[in-house]
Amino acid sequence: MKKTGIFRGLAALMTFLLSISVIVGNTLESFSSTIDTALGTQSEMMVTDDQDAVYDKFTPPAELLNEDGTGNSHALIQAAIDLNRQQAAEGTVLLKNNGVLPLSSGSAVTLFGIRSQVPILGSSFGVKACGGFINLDEALQNNKTDFAHHITTSLSQNWATGQVERGYTTDGWSGDEFDFDGAGFKVNSTMTGIYTKLNETYLHTENAGPSEEYDPGEPSIAEIEAVNADYKSTFAQYGDAAIVVIGRPSAESEDYLPGGIVAGLGAEEPLALTTNEKDIIALAKECSDKVIVLINSASAVEIGDLKDDADIDAILWIGAPGSYGMLGVADILSGKVSPSGGLADIFPTYNLSAPAMQNMGNFSYKNAESVITRENSSNYIIEAEGIYVGYRYYETRYYDAVLGQGNATSNAGTYASANGWDYDAEVAYGFGYGLSYTTFDMEYEGDPVFEISKDGDVTTATATFNVKVTNTGDVAGKKSVQIYGQAPYTEGGLEKSAIVLLNYGKTGTLQPGESEVVPVTVDLQYIATYDSSFDNGDGTFGTYVIDPGTYYFAFGNGAHDALNNIMAAQGIDTASLVGEANADYAYQTEITEDTLARTSFAYSKTGEKISNQLDYADWNYFQDGEVTYLSRADWEGTYPKTYSDMELTSQELIDYLNGKYYTLKTDDDTSDIKWGQDGDLMFYEMAGLDFDDEKWDELLSEMTLEEAQYLATFGGPSIPGADSIGTVETYMTENAGNGIAVNLNASKDTEAPWNISSDDPNGNWHPEVFGSSPLTAASFNPQLAYELGEFIGIESLFTGIPILWGPGLNTHRHAYNGRNGEYYSEDPILSGYTAMEFAIGALNYGLIAAPKHYAFNDQETNRAGVAPFMTEQRAREVELRAYQIAFEATKYDTEDYDAGMRGLMISFSKIGPVECTVSTGLMTEILKKEWGFTGYAVTDIYDDFDLYTAVLTSGATCYDTRGMSGFYTDTTLDSPRFANQADGSTISASVFAGDKNAQLAVREAAHNVLYAIASSNLMNRYNATTHVVKLNTWWRTAYYTAIGVTAAFTVLFALLYVLSKRKKKEA
Amino acid sequence: MADFMKKQSIGSYFNCIAAVLGIVGIVAAVICSNMTVTYALGNMGTIALLGACGIILAVAAICLPNKFGNHDILGTLAVLGAIAVYTAAFGQVLSERILLIAGLFSYDSVNTVGWQVFYVTVVSIAAFLVADIILIIGAFSRSVKEN
Repeated sequence: MKKTGIFRGLAALMTFLLSISVIVGNTLESFSSTIDTALGTQSEMMVTDDQDAVYDKFTPPAELLNEDGTGNSHALIQAAIDLNRQQAAEGTVLLKNNGVLPLSSGSAVTLFGIRSQVPILGSSFGVKACGGFINLDEALQNNKTDFAHHITTSLSQNWATGQVERGYTTDGWSGDEFDFDGAGFKVNSTMTGIYTKLNETYLHTENAGPSEEYDPGEPSIAEIEAVNADYKSTFAQYGDAAIVVIGRPSAESEDYLPGGIVAGLGAEEPLALTTNEKDIIALAKECSDKVIVLINSASAVEIGDLKDDADIDAILWIGAPGSYGMLGVADILSGKVSPSGGLADIFPTYNLSAPAMQNMGNFSYKNAESVITRENSSNYIIEAEGIYVGYRYYETRYYDAVLGQGNATSNAGTYASANGWDYDAEVAYGFGYGLSYTTFDMEYEGDPVFEISKDGDVTTATATFNVKVTNTGDVAGKKSVQIYGQAPYTEGGLEKSAIVLLNYGKTGTLQPGESEVVPVTVDLQYIATYDSSFDNGDGTFGTYVIDPGTYYFAFGNGAHDALNNIMAAQGIDTASLVGEANADYAYQTEITEDTLARTSFAYSKTGEKISNQLDYADWNYFQDGEVTYLSRADWEGTYPKTYSDMELTSQELIDYLNGKYYTLKTDDDTSDIKWGQDGDLMFYEMAGLDFDDEKWDELLSEMTLEEAQYLATFGGPSIPGADSIGTVETYMTENAGNGIAVNLNASKDTEAPWNISSDDPNGNWHPEVFGSSPLTAASFNPQLAYELGEFIGIESLFTGIPILWGPGLNTHRHAYNGRNGEYYSEDPILSGYTAMEFAIGALNYGLIAAPKHYAFNDQETNRAGVAPFMTEQRAREVELRAYQIAFEATKYDTEDYDAGMRGLMISFSKIGPVECTVSTGLMTEILKKEWGFTGYAVTDIYDDFDLYTAVLTSGATCYDTRGMSGFYTDTTLDSPRFANQADGSTISASVFAGDKNAQLAVREAAHNVLYAIASSNLMNRYNATTHVVKLNTWWRTAYYTAIGVTAAFTVLFALLYVLSKRKKKEA
Repeated sequence: MADFMKKQSIGSYFNCIAAVLGIVGIVAAVICSNMTVTYALGNMGTIALLGACGIILAVAAICLPNKFGNHDILGTLAVLGAIAVYTAAFGQVLSERILLIAGLFSYDSVNTVGWQVFYVTVVSIAAFLVADIILIIGAFSRSVKEN
C-alpha cells in the first residue's frame, strides 16, 4: 500500500475517533451528575468564596462528629446499626407463641430454609438494603460484624444473555467492623453450610423480586441430602429449637399475580407455601420439638395452616429487616426485647379472598386498539371493592355476619369457609395484631377529652383518649395503644367500615409492675364519611359528613379485638364473636347536630370548601351503571366480579385517555405578570421565610419566564440554576425511604465541614440500610418513625442531598402489589402518621422528604399509565387520607408555623382516565387548597413528557428528568425529549407567551420549588458568593485527552497525506 | 455505465456499501421513531439530514476519484466528511435513546415496547457505525483501478 493511502486511511480513522470522542464527551457532560453518582466522581462543585453564614443552619449531632468538626463515619455507622436494630425489634410481630419464646441463653439451634442464609433484607430498586450486612446466624451466635464477607446483593440483567444475575451492592468492604452483643446461641453450621452451598446454584438475591410466574426457590430435601447426606446427625446437638425462615420478596415494577406461580411447586398462589417449604417445616419438626417460623416478607404470606398446626410453636413476622435488622430479630428470639409490633396488613387465610383481588393485574380495554391513540393509556383496573380494602372488608363483613345483616354470611367471596362466609376461617391474623412476652392491663384514665372548636368555617374536633397501660407480666416490654372507631351505619346508607384505626401511641419500655398513661388524640374528621352525592347548595356536590348517632371507640390488640370490644359494648352476645371481647375497653358517645354538626368537616383545615374533585375517577361517571361497587348493604349481590372486558363508548372518557386535557391559549394579556424585573433580592436571603412572605413575589419577579420554566421542566436530580436570583445548578434529589442512595465518599457537598473524605476507610458505606416500610409501620411507634426520619436527615447532611424521593406512601390495596415493601400499610391512618413523623424528623436536619407516589399506585402491573377507577369516597378515605395526614401534619402546627411535608412525587398511574400528573383536582384543589401543601411536587421519572402544558398547569411543580444535567449548555427547553406533545404543540421558551394561566402556574411552580429548597439544608451552602465550578474528573480528563490526541493525529495524518500527495505529484 | 463499473476498485465498493448503510441507518431511525408516539425521535429531522449528508458524501467519494484519481483531496474530504456526519447521526440517535436504554437495563426492564424500540434503534446505530468502519477501510484502499 502506498504511503498516500496509508495516511489517508489513518486520517479517516482519526476523524472517526475524534468524532466519537466529541460525542462521548457531550454525552458524559449531559449526564454528568448521574455519572458522578455511579462512579463516585465529582465533576462540579458548589463553591462559596465567602464562608460567612454558611453551614450554620443545619448541622449533624455532635456525637457524630470528630473533635475537629469532621464527620465520624464509625459513629455514624454504629448509630445506623443501633437504629436499624431497634426498628427490627420493634417492628417484628409475634403472631403465635406456645411458650417456646424467648429461647434461653446458650440454646443450640438449627436454621432451616434457604432464606435463613440468604434473607430478604430490603426491597428492590428504591429500598434496597445495601452494603455489609449481619446475617441471622451471625446475629444469633457472633459478637462482631463481618462486613468484609457479607455484602448484600442485587439483581441485574445481563443484556447479552438476558439472564438475571446477582451483583453486589457495593464493591467490597475494607472499613471498620463493629462489635455487637448477639443472642448467645450456637447455630448448626452444617445446615448453614448446606444452604450456602445450595445458593451457589440457586443464586438467590436479597433483592430478587416477584414475577408473573413466581418460584420462591426453596431447595428440596433431596437437594439438601445431595450436599450432605449426613445432615440429620447434627439435629440432636442443635435441637433446642428449629427456626424456619420463609421468604417472599417485594420489588418495583413487578407484581405477584393470581395463580402466578411456577407449575409443580405444590402451591396454587405465589404467597402460599410450596411443597418444599412445607417439607422444610416437617424437617424442622424432626429436628426439634420447638419449631419457630419466621416470615421474611413485606406481604401477607398464607400461613393459616401454620397457625392451626400444634407442632408449630411460634410464628414471627419479621418483614424485610434491613442490613443490620437481624440483630433486632435475634433480640426478640433471645428475649432481650419483648415483641411489641402489630401487623400492618391483615393476613387472610387466602389472599384471593380480598375483594380487591378480583380486579388486579393486566386488563386492557376491549376496543383499545381502535380508539386509544396515546401510549400507556390502554390499561385499567376497576377497584370495585369500594372502601372495603384490607381489614376494612374482613372486619366489616364479620360485624354484619354477626348481626345477620347485608347477606354477610353468603358464599360470595368465600375461600376458606366451609359453610357460608366465616371470619375465623377466612382470616389468619388480623390487622394490628401482635403478641408480647409479657402481659398488660389497659384501662381508660378518665373519660376522653373532646375538644371542638370553630374558626370561621373551619371546625376542629378531637378526642384524646388517655390509656393507662400497666405491665402485669414478668419481663419488661412496650405496648402500642391503638384507638379504633365506629361511626353509626344505616343499612343501605353511606358505606362505612365497621372499624377504622384513628390513631395510636406507644409506651416506653415498662418494667414489670410499671404503668404509663399514653394519650392518643384522635382527629374526628377521620371517622367522618365522604358523601359524594351531598348537595352543597352551590352547584357542587360532595363533602364529609358526620352522621348524628352513637359513635364507638375502643382500644384493642388490633382491629378485630377492638371491634369485638365495641360489639361487647353494644350488647352483642360475646358467644357469637370470634375471639375475646371486653366492653370496658370501648367507649361510646352520642354525636348530635348540636354537638358536632353533620357538615362540620365541609371545610378543610385551610378553610377551603370541600366538594367533589375526582368525579372522573368513577367509571360510572362516564358509562353509568356498568360497575357495581361493593356495598355492605348486600355483600352477596355486590361482591365484585372481574371487570376484564370493559369497552370504551364515552367520547369524553376516550378523549381523556388520549391526553386531551388542556388547550393552550395564545392571545391572553399577560402584561400584569412581572418577569425579569430589576432587583437585588437573591435566593440565599430567602432561607426560612414563610411561603406567603411578600419577598417571594419580589424574587419571582426578578426571574425570567424561561428561568421559571427551566425550574419547572427539570426537577431532578439536578435542578437548574437561575442567574437572576443567584441560584446555581445543583444535584439535589435521590432515593429512597430507607436511606440516601449516595455513598458517604460521594457526597454532593464536599465543602461541608463534616464532609467524610474520599479516603476514609468507611467511605464506601451506603446509607440505604434500614428495613422496609411495613416494618416501621408495624412498630406502631411514632417516635421510632420520627427518629428514622431524623437519622436519614443526618445522612442527607453527610451526602449533600436536600430532597429525598421517599418514603413510599401508597396504601396496600392487596398483598400482591410487588411494591408493598416500599409502602407502609393497608391502613391510611397508620401510613399517614408514620410518614408524617418521618418527614418532620427529616426536616429537623433540612431534608425534604417527598413521599411517593401521589397517588393510586395500587399495582405495578402496567404502572406506566394504568387507569384505576374508583369512587371518590374510596379515593379520599383510603389512598388520599394517608397523604392528607402527612401533608397537614396538624400535630406539629403551631401559631406561627404550618408544618407538613414539603415535597412529593406524583404517580405514574392515572386517577380514572386522567393522569395524576395533570389532575388539577388532585394536584391543586385537594393537595394545595384543601390540605395547604406547599413545596416540591415532581412527576415520576420521564412521565408524561407529552403533556407538558397540562402537567405544568395542574399544580405539579416540575418533571423528573433523571440523569439530565448540564443545564444552560446543551439542555434547552426545546429538548427533543419534550418534542412529542399529545396536542401537537411545540415546547419552547415562548410556548406560554399568550397563556396567562400557564404563566401563573409556572410562576407558582417556581415559587413552590424554591420555597422547598429554601427550607432545606441546601441553604447551608448559599450566600452571595455561591457559584459552581467544574472539576476535573478522570472521565473528563479522559475525553478531553482523547479529543486532543485524536484531533492532533487527524491533523497530522491529513498533513502527511497532503504532503505525500504533493510529493507523488512532483515525482 | 459499464465502463464506470469496470473502473471501480475496492475502495469504491466500500464507499458504496457505506452509502447503502447510511440509508439503512436512516430507515431504521425512521422506523424506531414511528413505532410509538412515546418513543418518537424528537431530532429525527437532524438525524435524517446528517444521514443524507453522509450518503451524498459517500457517493461523492465514489465519483470524485473517477475524475481526479485515487486518493484525491476532494474525495478524501468527502470520506472524512461522511465519517464525521455518520458519527454525528449515530450520536444524535444515541443521545435520544440513552434514557430509554438506561431505563431498560435498570428500573424499566419490563417495558416490552421499549425493548422493541431499542432493538430497531440498535440497527440504526449499528448501520451508521459499520458505515464509518467501512469508510475507514475504504480510505486505505484504491477507489478506481489504475492502468
